[in-house]
Amino acid sequence: MKLAYFPGCKINFYLKDYDTSFKSLMEKLGVDLVQLPFNCCGYPARSTSFEVSVFSSIRNFALARKYDLDIITPCKCCFGQLKYASYQWHENKELKQKMDCLLADENLFWDGKTKIKHLLSFLYDDIGVLEIKKKINHKLPEKKIVTQYGCHALRPFTITGFDNPHAPQIFEELINITGFKTVEWSKSTECCGNPIYETNKNLSLKILNSKLNAALESGADHICTACTHCQIQYTDLSFQNECQKHHITPVLFTQILGAALGIKKEKLGEDRLPIFDLRVS
Amino acid sequence: MFQITLYTSLILSTAGLLFQVYRFQKKGASGVPKLKLSLNLKLVLFNTIFQSKLFRASKTRWAVHFLVLSGFSYLVFFHALDELTAFNLFQYYQPTLDPFQFLRNFAGFLVLAGCIGFLFRRSFNTRIKPDNKLKYKGIFSIILILLVIGSGFMLETVKIISEPAFLEMVEDYSDLDEGTDLDHLKIYWEKNYHVVFKETLLITEDALEQGRRLNNDYCLDCHSKINSAFVSKAFATHLGKPANFLNHYRADNWLYPIHYLLSFLMLISLPFSRFFHMLLIPFASAQHKVTNKHFQKEAVFIHPATFAACTNCGICSEVCSVYPNFLITGNKQILPHSKIESARKMIFTGHLNPEALNQLQLGNDECTMCNNCTNICPSGIDLQGLWKTLPKTLHKMGYPDNYTFVKDKALQDWGNKELEKDRAAGTYGLTQNLTGRVYSFENCVQCTICTNVCPVVAYSGNDNDMTPQQIMNLLRLGKKQTAAETRMVWNCLTCYLCQEHCPSEIKVADIIIELRNISNQTAERLKIMTTADKANTL
Repeated sequence: MKLAYFPGCKINFYLKDYDTSFKSLMEKLGVDLVQLPFNCCGYPARSTSFEVSVFSSIRNFALARKYDLDIITPCKCCFGQLKYASYQWHENKELKQKMDCLLADENLFWDGKTKIKHLLSFLYDDIGVLEIKKKINHKLPEKKIVTQYGCHALRPFTITGFDNPHAPQIFEELINITGFKTVEWSKSTECCGNPIYETNKNLSLKILNSKLNAALESGADHICTACTHCQIQYTDLSFQNECQKHHITPVLFTQILGAALGIKKEKLGEDRLPIFDLRVS
Repeated sequence: MFQITLYTSLILSTAGLLFQVYRFQKKGASGVPKLKLSLNLKLVLFNTIFQSKLFRASKTRWAVHFLVLSGFSYLVFFHALDELTAFNLFQYYQPTLDPFQFLRNFAGFLVLAGCIGFLFRRSFNTRIKPDNKLKYKGIFSIILILLVIGSGFMLETVKIISEPAFLEMVEDYSDLDEGTDLDHLKIYWEKNYHVVFKETLLITEDALEQGRRLNNDYCLDCHSKINSAFVSKAFATHLGKPANFLNHYRADNWLYPIHYLLSFLMLISLPFSRFFHMLLIPFASAQHKVTNKHFQKEAVFIHPATFAACTNCGICSEVCSVYPNFLITGNKQILPHSKIESARKMIFTGHLNPEALNQLQLGNDECTMCNNCTNICPSGIDLQGLWKTLPKTLHKMGYPDNYTFVKDKALQDWGNKELEKDRAAGTYGLTQNLTGRVYSFENCVQCTICTNVCPVVAYSGNDNDMTPQQIMNLLRLGKKQTAAETRMVWNCLTCYLCQEHCPSEIKVADIIIELRNISNQTAERLKIMTTADKANTL
């Protein structure tokens, strides 16, 4: 299987481990990732201009379509924005015309056929939980873990179609096959606070704290994320003490699954992760 | 003459260098936070000697650059400085002996080819196009190189054809007098070395053979076959009639000072022209410290000298993540190569005009910190660090980001009639127009579910003013501008919880985002209006 890899802007500089582990995981599962010269998904521009944000996404689609590839992204904000732009393009004729003109200036064209997948939805829908379970050869410790779904993948459901927006469960199913035990908690579907990190750091921190408190109450040891922005929020240096205070370690889903599939430590990122010390194989 | 000009230009060059260092130091101290000099040894080594970053960015550009660099280095060390290097290294060295004669021509040829490649790329680069001023920045240096190399080749050409030079050499290095022997040698040299003689010489087999023998006796020790000087030979053979004219006026004598004076001009201009990048790129590479951890701890303004390391190559803008934003908004200051140029002006000239600063602030706000430009920058400039710290500097100068601008803006300044006119004229591009259509929010029954699920309302405390449901109500009351200025609109996480839970299926989050668009655009418009006032008062 061949897919166009849409890394998103932040991953390369802020979260190289996610990039590395995502690539190793896809390699292990036999997926060919193609790197195209994508631009920003358009999510950051959504605050300033609707048109700019949609055009950014459509330009990426046109690029992927040129090579006849579907798009996979490990970031939920990118996923949400790409889905959103695709939806608007299909709905709004005036917008579609304008986008066509703008693309034509650069000798590009999009016919609306590119599919957008997030890492989780791809694993769940295209590969299948059972199929992955068969490949698991390392048992991870039965540590308690809570899931951070990420807003933009879940909502608005009519646009993203990711999972039940009120009681999602695909993330839990995917984690449980690795040996980790997922715990229910109240803030699974809530925002991590990263979108206003730049502008209102104080509020961003308060929201992070509320999440960590809820995770602590549920008795979890780890928070599992599958989104660049969520993980950045939990591991940000100015916030990192918060996680330590609550005795909760944020972990990347790709690293958990990668470890369970027996991918070597070095191929899952540079930072030493607590899960490798816990590993009982 | 040669000695005097050499020492003068050396002194001038050193003085220029010291002046630049002083300027950088001074700019480093004023206004911007101090930074420690760091040393990224690996990058300095690879980027300086092999241009590793340029190689990664573009193979063809690297090749063109390498042509110039290798050719030029050879010429500097084994041609310009031959008295220090070549004469000491090789006992038999003579500029007119192979392989040196050939290598000199070859190196000159490489530099010529590379410079023409540079000019070609500058003329046809599409991404620098919006900035015509930048397009030909640094062209002085390229033209100077072309002139130096060109004058060098011309000098060699006129020396080849020169009869007076030939006669002087004969006098100095042989015991031939006027007579048949000299004629034989002349014939041989006319045939084989392309010297142009005034009188017509009768070429016979016998004379050539005699000439060859004399050549072996007197000249061969210092003169390789002229074919190896392939560029100059090509010029010499195609010179035709002007040759006699050049010989008569001793072109070889006056081209020589032109050649070395141009070279000295290059030396003097080193600290003030594009040539300076030879020294600044290693410096910038040494300051390069873009790791995530470093970045979060101390993002300090980059050293002023690293600004000057930018060669306006425009590679950064080719990989810029927010290039589509530029295509729509048309703000050049979104593109990194324009941003660094404006920042450089801001730092060195002290005052950029308010409109340019405003554009710079708005453009820099669009940056997503993807590190693409920093990663690819062939000069190794810490661009990411600059984008990160630029907002702070701009804020101090009175150009805050939109969030702060709106926060500090009084409500009465907000409801500007002119802004409404602009919006009606559709200057802000396409929108979903949710806030403009009554049916998108009229169904709100004020049930407060959106407010109850909103994490911003729950955790912000005093930091927030309105709740989502109150915003819907403001819209129903026709107070769109007031709604757009609320803290709620700016604090919104865009998590869509409100929209997902709304029983009336109102697109609450989309409406709030659209209000934020309006707020942003209003802020931008107001900023442009106030900066226009500022510019008028200046």
